This record gives sequence, structure tokens and C-alpha cells, in this order.
Amino acid sequence: MDSLDIHLLRELEPGLPLVPEPFEEVGNRLGLTGAEVQERIRNLKSAGIVRKFTARINQRLAGISANALVAWNPADSPHRDIGHLLAAFPCVTHCYKRRPVPGRWEFSFYTVHHGRSRDAVCAEVKAIADQIDVNDYVVLFSTEEFKRVPNVRINENGGNL
Amino acid sequence: MTGPFVRDPVDLHILDALQGDIPLVDRPYAVIASQVGIPEHELLERLTKLKEAGVLRGISPVLESRQMGLSAATLVALHVPEDNIRKVADIVSSCPEVSHNFRRDHYYTLWFTISAENDERVGQVLAGILDRAGVPAGDHLNLPTVKKLKIDVRFPFLPSHGKEV
Repeated sequence: MDSLDIHLLRELEPGLPLVPEPFEEVGNRLGLTGAEVQERIRNLKSAGIVRKFTARINQRLAGISANALVAWNPADSPHRDIGHLLAAFPCVTHCYKRRPVPGRWEFSFYTVHHGRSRDAVCAEVKAIADQIDVNDYVVLFSTEEFKRVPNVRINENGGNL
Repeated sequence: MTGPFVRDPVDLHILDALQGDIPLVDRPYAVIASQVGIPEHELLERLTKLKEAGVLRGISPVLESRQMGLSAATLVALHVPEDNIRKVADIVSSCPEVSHNFRRDHYYTLWFTISAENDERVGQVLAGILDRAGVPAGDHLNLPTVKKLKIDVRFPFLPSHGKEV
């Protein structure tokens, strides 16, 4: 990644312009052609720096109003790899293994679920629990969003990453 | 926004179509428009409106945190009494190392993530937040990331896609 790549990522961070030839427009600001911009993005993707290039959508405004973090405790089956089982469900958008707090909070796997109603999300989570045979879990619905931004933000960090 | 949700089926179809990677071609919107079955100029008009309404936050590259030098992360839960939650939430959100900060229906009311270059820095940020928020030591959970198993944010906007588990 060179300094021009960093400039390019900074230009792209607020969003690809909504014009017919958006890469050409971004390239004009940096002295690159549209084709060169596309090529740099392709290279950043194959280097694993850009995970994907896609729309960020406020799902609540599109009717997906029930959003839950689910914490799972596989204590009754400690030798099974429930992480990969959980991650394989298409409806799971995020899946993490985390270090629990022994004696206070034994949940070690976390998934994120989205739906049109709490009932729909609860039914989805129950179906997963039944399939993987883990009964100790807690569904944590979000009731207010205080902050939600990409975890890597070049502009907020002064462009120095 | 407290106004009506997006209900227009063409807009919902567009939101579904946008969730893959944007095509790296000269006219990417023409490709998406043909998937949705509308002209390119109509897609651009609709995208502009969806952006103005706050539904579309932007079409941008998602950067891999580890590749960008953020090697450590944690999820933190705080027990914050009702009358104090907004003040504490503001303290948490003001940290650039925090990317997600939600209120949740639980004894632990505030849940947020911290990412930084290493565990030591994550610990410093957390200690700073707890200090400024005045949260007693026993009233929080620190759940460091051991392994990121999946991030694949896709929403089934068209109701017909909504039943799959």
C-alpha cells in the first residue's frame, strides 16, 4: 500500500459518488484514470486490506428494526466447536469468540441477528439453539444506537493510519 | 428518523442488490440497475434519495482492521443506571477507538466495542472510560476478542428472503 492508496481510501471513505462514472470522478481528484482507480481497489482487495466494497445501510430505516446480540455458553459441550457451527448460519451476520469472565459471565461465543420483529429474531435464535444443542444463551436486543461506524476510519484518525 | 420505513419494492430490491461487492467497472451503477431492472439514471436518482433519507450511509470500502494496524479488540458491557445512561453513552461514543455503542435490554445496559493497535492500548482506553464514567469495577464486563469467526453483514430487505435461518 502506497501513499496514493491511502489518499484513494480517504476519498472513498465518505462513499462512492452517485454519478454514472464514479471511479473516473474519484480518479480526477487524485490524478488517476477511472481504470487505475479500479486496478488499485482490486489490488487492495487481493492484499486483504479491503475486505469488501459495499453499501452501508441503516437497516432500521428499511424495516429491520429488531437487532440482537446473542451470547452463547457451550459449557455442556465444551469440546465442540460451536463457533463454526454458529458462523455457518446465513442469518448470523457476526460471530466472535470472546474471553468470558469466570464466575460472573460464562458466555464465550457471540452472534448478531437482525429481523423485522423481536418474535422473528427469538424464533431464529431458538431454532439455532435447538440445532446446535446449546441451551444456555441470552438474547440482548438493542434499544438505542449511540454510535455505529466502521471500526477502521482513516479520516477520523487524521489520515495517518 | 422517526418517519416511515422504506416500503417501495423497487427501493427494497435496490437495497438487496447493493449488498454484494460493487462491480469494479467504469459504470458500476449500470450493472446494478440492470439487475434490478431499471434504467441507470433511475437507480442514481433513487440512490440519491435513499442517501438523503439516511437509509444509504454510503458505498465504501470496508477495511480489514488487522491489516490497518488494529490488532486488539474487546466488547465491554456496563451497568449504568437509567438516569445516567445518556451521559455515560456520550463519554463512550466520544472515543475514536469505539466503533459500536448500543443500549441493550439487560442489567448491563450499555454495550460497546473498542479496537486499538494492541491489548495494552485497549486496556488504557477502557480504564479511561470507566474512570470518566464513574463505573464501579464490579459493574462491567470486559470480553476481549479471541477470534473473529464471521463478519458478513447482509439484510433480507425483500420479505420473501426473510424466512431462512
